[in-house]
Amino acid sequence: MDRGIYIAMASGQNIMSAQSVHANNLANANTTGFQTDFEQATTHSVSYGDGYKSRSYAITEGAGTNFSRGSMIDTGRDLDMAVEGDGWIAVQAPDGTEAFTRAGSLKISPEGQLLTGNNLPVLGNGGPIAIPPADKVTLGADGTITIQPQGQKVDVLSTVDRIKLVKPDYAQLTKGLDGLVRLRDGEESVPDASLRLQSGFLESSNVSPVDELTQIMSLARQFEINVKMMKTMEQNSSTAAQILRTS
Amino acid sequence: MSQALWISKTGLSAQDTRLATISNNLANASTVGFKRDSVVFEDLLYQIRRQPGAQSSQNTQLPSGLQIGTGVRVIGTQKEFSAGSVDVTEKPLDISIDGRGFFEILLPDGTAAYTRNGQFQINAEDEIVNSRGLVLQPAITVPAEAQGVTISSDGIVEATIAGQAATQNLGTLQVTNFVNPTGLQAVGSNLFVETAASGSPQAGTPGTQGLGSIEQGALENSNVDVVEELVNMITTQRTYEMNSKVISTADQMLQFVSQNL
Repeated sequence: MDRGIYIAMASGQNIMSAQSVHANNLANANTTGFQTDFEQATTHSVSYGDGYKSRSYAITEGAGTNFSRGSMIDTGRDLDMAVEGDGWIAVQAPDGTEAFTRAGSLKISPEGQLLTGNNLPVLGNGGPIAIPPADKVTLGADGTITIQPQGQKVDVLSTVDRIKLVKPDYAQLTKGLDGLVRLRDGEESVPDASLRLQSGFLESSNVSPVDELTQIMSLARQFEINVKMMKTMEQNSSTAAQILRTS
Repeated sequence: MSQALWISKTGLSAQDTRLATISNNLANASTVGFKRDSVVFEDLLYQIRRQPGAQSSQNTQLPSGLQIGTGVRVIGTQKEFSAGSVDVTEKPLDISIDGRGFFEILLPDGTAAYTRNGQFQINAEDEIVNSRGLVLQPAITVPAEAQGVTISSDGIVEATIAGQAATQNLGTLQVTNFVNPTGLQAVGSNLFVETAASGSPQAGTPGTQGLGSIEQGALENSNVDVVEELVNMITTQRTYEMNSKVISTADQMLQFVSQNL
């Protein structure tokens, strides 16, 4: 039997992996601050010795992440924020390293720590931000947090800390296994004073549902062609066996 | 089996949870003192299929690996404690809090619950109770012969009694606040109970120490923004549809294999 059937088989498996990448993008179409993942197929030639080089396998690879911006959603909540421009919010990942996110639905923990929606401490000028008991917390355009301390009059305000907004080079960014974005070298980024945030807004995911669905359909057809190839090779083989039958 | 099936399944169940939250918000759009919930999503962990930088031969490395996300999940709901609009009803025992804080209600088991629903009535024992008959704390008794009840903005309750020139002081309403109201647990019937996340209750005189003042003859509407909920419903529905489309596509792929091979 033609061993080419393994090429079609490997290709089918890879297309299923690629489908999973797009399925994950679509599953997160409504996740605040989610960044679309790309996928691509590359050729891996396995031709040894002389003869016609017809054995090229396709391998699906992660081709990075689309870091373009989602759209702004007006929520009106005091602790919702979206960074303007190419900025990111610096947070502390569970392993203690610095990571970046665009999911700005913040909250305050019982201990007074400023957390993101998925319970990661938001970083300020010097590490995680602690917010004293306050009647009102306001996020300024440059990330400055102003509070009206508990029990104080409206005109008694105090500044607590400043949310660390960073603007790393896109080429240096990579998405980790926890869905957080980090610098490739694992270093910390320097805060960028020029970045602005919008309080009362959230950034939607940057998933384009039309794109993803089209990719999924095109992959599905490609998968069918590969199955067809397997079928054809099987037919070739059985026809050959029939012709060569001696009886 | 195709992983895409399971990934899209997480998408479907997350959108389903969101729709449940939206429908609860809409169902309570005219519930006095209701605070709307919003759902927070998080992408699930990523799996490495092929490690970037792994050796593809002794001298060459794979330029980029393949890591596949495993879907989405609902990480939690957030209660939104912004103020609702105020309806003036002119009923003497309709009270609203203008600003932060809650009324304390005594539950049948002796523990305290908190509410922003200020629709109060008087029960057979002349106590001020909420619509479910639970007593407002601190308990205030309105004498049967009282002609009218007046509540000042700082919570002093007074009654006018027939034949008496001076009003009779019945007690003082208190307003209770929490450091982190978002951490309160909603238990239904417009009531919230204290949790470790909310911090301990701090009762005080209305209008002082950052607490809201009392408004008599007015009720606080729910803070549900109907238009926003409907827009959220549309995005939820479309995302749901697209995830189910992925499931049917993945299903067709598998079907094609089993039929053709």
